[in-house]
Amino acid sequence: MQGGLERATGEKMVLNFGPQHPATHGTLRIVLELDGESILKATPHLGYLHTGFEKLGEHLDYNQFIVVTDRMNYLSPLSNNFGYVLAVEQLLGIEVPKRCQYIRILMAELSRLADHLLWLGTAALDLGAFSVFLYSFREREKLYSIFEKTTGARLTTSYTRVGGVFRDLYDGFETDARDFISNFPKALKETHTLLTKNRIWMDRTKGVGPISADEAINYGLTGPCLRAAGVAHDLRKAEPYSAYDELTFDVPVGSNGDAYDRYLVRMEEMMQSCRLVTQALDNLPDGPVNVEDNKITMPHKSDAYGHIEGLIHHFKIVMDGHGVQPPKGDHYCATESPNGELGFYIVSDGSGTGYRIRIRPPSFLNFQALPHMLEGGMVSDTVAVLGSLNVIAGELDR
Amino acid sequence: MNEEKGIAEQASPLVLEKLAAHHSEALLAQRETRGRVGVVVRKEQAYAVLEYLKTDPELAYTYLVDVTAVDNSQMESELMQFDYARFMVVYQLYSYQGQCRVQVKVPVHENDLSVPSVTGLWRGANWLERETYDMFGINFEGHPELRRILMPDDFEGYPLRKDYPLRGRGERESFNFEKQNV
Amino acid sequence: MGLAKTHIQSGQGAAQTDGNIITTTIDKVVNWGRKNSLWPMPFGTACCAIEMMATLASKFDLSRFGSEAIRFSPRQSDLLIVSGRISIKMMPVLKRIYDQMPDPKWVISMGACASCGGVFDTYTLIQGVDQFIPVDVYIPGCPPRPEDLIDAVMQVQQKIASGAAPKGIEVAYE
Ligand code: SF4
Repeated sequence: MQGGLERATGEKMVLNFGPQHPATHGTLRIVLELDGESILKATPHLGYLHTGFEKLGEHLDYNQFIVVTDRMNYLSPLSNNFGYVLAVEQLLGIEVPKRCQYIRILMAELSRLADHLLWLGTAALDLGAFSVFLYSFREREKLYSIFEKTTGARLTTSYTRVGGVFRDLYDGFETDARDFISNFPKALKETHTLLTKNRIWMDRTKGVGPISADEAINYGLTGPCLRAAGVAHDLRKAEPYSAYDELTFDVPVGSNGDAYDRYLVRMEEMMQSCRLVTQALDNLPDGPVNVEDNKITMPHKSDAYGHIEGLIHHFKIVMDGHGVQPPKGDHYCATESPNGELGFYIVSDGSGTGYRIRIRPPSFLNFQALPHMLEGGMVSDTVAVLGSLNVIAGELDR
Repeated sequence: MNEEKGIAEQASPLVLEKLAAHHSEALLAQRETRGRVGVVVRKEQAYAVLEYLKTDPELAYTYLVDVTAVDNSQMESELMQFDYARFMVVYQLYSYQGQCRVQVKVPVHENDLSVPSVTGLWRGANWLERETYDMFGINFEGHPELRRILMPDDFEGYPLRKDYPLRGRGERESFNFEKQNV
Repeated sequence: MGLAKTHIQSGQGAAQTDGNIITTTIDKVVNWGRKNSLWPMPFGTACCAIEMMATLASKFDLSRFGSEAIRFSPRQSDLLIVSGRISIKMMPVLKRIYDQMPDPKWVISMGACASCGGVFDTYTLIQGVDQFIPVDVYIPGCPPRPEDLIDAVMQVQQKIASGAAPKGIEVAYE
């Protein structure tokens, strides 16, 4: 921290917030210019977690890059996996089997739950509500174990493959998922009783960090932040990808665009995700989970290890210049990740590695609107607003 | 659902039609592949075209999705097509009204690395353009504060250019702790 | 700062005499106290930080090992957990935080990225924080499971109990 302690005398004090501050979740930094307690100017600084994902995309082949997408929005890796392979598949011009689409939706919606749960826990923690953090992690751990059984990892799932998924669901998946979904509303209600009508929670989030619908569009906000401002836009409805057009759900919308509305929208989205999961489970079709194209789908591991044909097949796909090779051209594809529009812009030169992979991160644009939401407010609102945006540094800085 | 798709299909050619009618001199190429409409426009008219796309009441591309660039120096075919312009600045736009997208590309030559900034049209462009500047060294004329955003201020080089090595030029092994203003 | 030397001198262990008096060395008592009340400073930047949070939260509950007093102020803590990717922009911050922590201090490098750069061999990522700060315990994994982190904390505890000097002091004395 630097600067003097002048009160509202017109003299400014500069307060450095972050990059290592509990409410910045590690890597965000905001320099605040204060007049007494009110914020005159907020300047975010970013790049503290810049990892070079996009450059790495030019050096890894299309399936290898899936690993990198996990580490982007690490609250919901499965949504990233999904968004990325969808972009590659559209570039290739292939469509995955119905069962695969449903599995992907199942996993994406479960990870939306996981994402919102962690957001809920940390946003409440930042404002001092510690129990909510423990409650939401209790639920998240249940999801972790479902993810682990399905994908083999708790967090870095790398579940999807170009043209399918890594493997089919495990046998008890349906029971586990239904179990979770049936208990989840009760758990969510606990949080509602803790927060929704809580005087302190309301005082600290209502009317804090508001943004109007027009401004939200102008700033390029997406996801819950945009919907909280009153724009009923959800890519799952507007440009239904995968099998979303076969499922019904509502898009919750707020009216004031403040931190409280963002909270309510996310809470309702969790309920909608439960609906989607239940429907997807009900309608889960049978069949293969990978496209039947030997140039795209890897052979099953037992084939690769047990038969010479399988081994050659495996070898051919992972070898440079033989695997997934989209035709020359470029394509932009966006999906509705828990934070908003997650887009992948892929330029292919016809080889096995991307020529340019651009990630359009929702957090980047959501975070950009932060000064607008903060300026004129009080310094203590910073934490509330920052919490309500759910900025994920991995995705922000890539 | 089908109805929505219907709108998108009708609207896609609309943007091309309207651009052809109003800005035909700016268009270098246009295409419609995989359900995505894209145009390549001359740098000189780029701002006018983008402004038109945003403000025209029938098109109303009010949401700037993304600004980025591509270094085409290792893609011969692209280079040849657009008069050996090394960089291509890419804008993605979305219209809430028509629920459709359009992609606008602007070729930029290496000896004149600048395009007009669109921060005046969309506030969201600010950081996107800064990032493009940071990664490719393309100047956005009229940008309010064009400085590095992801890399440290004293960083040299533009990481996403094709001639910049993946592992860097030794920046990650050696840096001066005292010099950095934390 | 003289910790390394004192340890070498205090060879005798505890001995019990008839009147229920325990004699021990001051070092042992201090170390016993330190070991069971580590105050971690979580330097979480990326995905590993989420697993660190999970370790602190309900199911894994790090407080069972006496280290739940998370302090975000380096001046109050004695265990630095570096979890996540450290970029060239972040490294000076980490170094500064490390320098601000009072001695004796221990460092856990959690996850592949903090330990060696992990899957990201790119221009901006530090290939192992141990190039710049001394590390006591490394945890492999991407991300390591919460159990791994608990194990690492226990290893730090063992190290403290054994009276060995933290890596930082070893390095300073070399
Ligand atoms: S080690 Fe893996 S999980 Fe941990 S920060 Fe690095 S990429 Fe993320």
